[in-house]
Amino acid sequence: MDLRTRELEVGYADDVVVRNLNLSVLPGRITALVGANGSGKSTILKAMARILKPKAGSVLLDGKAIHKLPTRTVARQLAILPQNPTAPDGLTVSELVAYGRFPHQGGFGGLTKEDQEVVRWALRVTGMEPHAERPVDQLSGGQRQRAWIAMALAQQTPMLFLDEPTTYLDMAHQLEVLQLLQRLNREEGRTVVMVLHDLNHASRYAHHMVAIKGGTVYGEGAPADVMTPEMLREVFGIEADIVPDPRTGLPLCLPYALANDAPQADAPRDGFAGGEETAAVAGR
Amino acid sequence: MRQRAIVRRQRILLVIMLGLIALTFVVGMGWGYASLSFDRLLPVLLGKGTAKEQFVLYSIRLPRLAVTLLAGMALALSGALLQGLMRNNLADPGIVGINAGAGVGVALYFLFFPAQADSFVYVLPLVAFFGACLTAALIYLFASRRGTGIQPIRLVLVGVGFSLALSGTMVVLITSADPFQVDFIARWLTGSVWGTDWPFVWALLPWLLVLVPVALLKTRSLDMLGLGDVAATGAGVPVERERLLLLLAAVGLAASAVAVTGGISFIGLMAPHIARALVGPRYGLMLPLAVLVGGWLLVAADIVGRNLADGIPAGIMVSLIGAPYFVYLLLKK
Repeated sequence: MDLRTRELEVGYADDVVVRNLNLSVLPGRITALVGANGSGKSTILKAMARILKPKAGSVLLDGKAIHKLPTRTVARQLAILPQNPTAPDGLTVSELVAYGRFPHQGGFGGLTKEDQEVVRWALRVTGMEPHAERPVDQLSGGQRQRAWIAMALAQQTPMLFLDEPTTYLDMAHQLEVLQLLQRLNREEGRTVVMVLHDLNHASRYAHHMVAIKGGTVYGEGAPADVMTPEMLREVFGIEADIVPDPRTGLPLCLPYALANDAPQADAPRDGFAGGEETAAVAGR
Repeated sequence: MRQRAIVRRQRILLVIMLGLIALTFVVGMGWGYASLSFDRLLPVLLGKGTAKEQFVLYSIRLPRLAVTLLAGMALALSGALLQGLMRNNLADPGIVGINAGAGVGVALYFLFFPAQADSFVYVLPLVAFFGACLTAALIYLFASRRGTGIQPIRLVLVGVGFSLALSGTMVVLITSADPFQVDFIARWLTGSVWGTDWPFVWALLPWLLVLVPVALLKTRSLDMLGLGDVAATGAGVPVERERLLLLLAAVGLAASAVAVTGGISFIGLMAPHIARALVGPRYGLMLPLAVLVGGWLLVAADIVGRNLADGIPAGIMVSLIGAPYFVYLLLKK
């Protein structure tokens, strides 16, 4: 299982959001993409999961251009959890999870025995068994996120991509989701690639951290090597102390001020693609 | 298991709907202006009626029942497909310009190519069909972007815009026409189900025979599209291709129905909703039920409109039920 980008360039309409990106996914590891709003991290994730088409360059899955492979074939290798996914009204958790079997099913007929077993397994690992027959739209935020992760798991893919899986969740639910991913990685050896906003979460749960700035890699490596005051200043526009977590020894980020030439102060606050331009220029 | 229970429920509802349709057919066969009463139905069906009774049943009532049933089914299926591919439960074939496009086609033909009585009834549906398809194609062109295909929200906006513009065009066309022509066009627009001969049944049937199985094969894709583009692509659905295919099917179905019945709205909106309320949102369960509900709705509306309400067109009867239903849906949201 090998997934990498080669000279990847992605954008919307006339905007180029991601440029000159050469990034490899580490198999069997948890990778966190971090960066400021509009840095292009979510775009990178989507392009690597073949949701967005490249303007130039390519994403290679075992050496083959991922956008030329049948999408169903890719869906057996990697699953992606979108940001704020919504399910149709009234759809139950077990129905949603069963949808994850789509890439393994033929055109017609119900779920096979194997499908049903996988669905049950996915519900069990995510702790969603007690809620299996409840409509997704009536769940709490954390439960809903776990239901969607269960659907992605039902795809039985070696790789799992997640776009900000902890956004809009309270702290307990954030930990719940991250611990689940950690367990899946440890016990099942799944490769996890996710966009995270919280650097301390990334430091604690990821083996590998990729800092994104201006649509390309600013630095990557173990969180202890990537999370430096310089990186925080240049990528996030903040001044911060990095201290070791008293419990784990992993780096913790404690921001105390905006950087002097703070790009964040002027940059658009939403995740809109155009924001990066401003941020990148102002940061220089 | 809840799953099994809901499948059983769907089976039972399908049988009930089939029974309801059969019952409504019997009512429709025995009820009307011409002299063919209920007690004569069986003898006439067995071939023991008078020539006049035979004529009323086989040349007037049965083809009309068949046409309304098939058109209702086609509109319901079309609406269900559109709601799925647009991820919008308020979508209706009217939204892709079907009614307005067919209407302008009919108005133009009527005004500029004076009718030859014998070929007229067969040319008109063709004109309406092409008007509808052309409009849908234009809407598609304007709503799609290179690279991303059709975006549902753009499709809705462009569709609504086109429908309004075409309705305006129609008013302009009509005001310049003479009263007799206006009368026919107006009646066409209200969905008066004027194509009530066997050839119209044969014109509608192939669409359903081909596209109902296609839709049933695509129920899984429709379910997946309901999760949004990213989730659907991620799970292996070729979103752009499926959406285009389903859109073509929906346009073909609605255009062929509207060509025969005139402007009928709300069936495509209501039938899938009723089905969803009964068996939940999954297309595999919901779609067959929606098709039957749609067929029954139009048959019933046509019978009631003709007999009880002094010749009110089926399209208006449907709107009389549909408009409040639509408001109810909006309020519920």
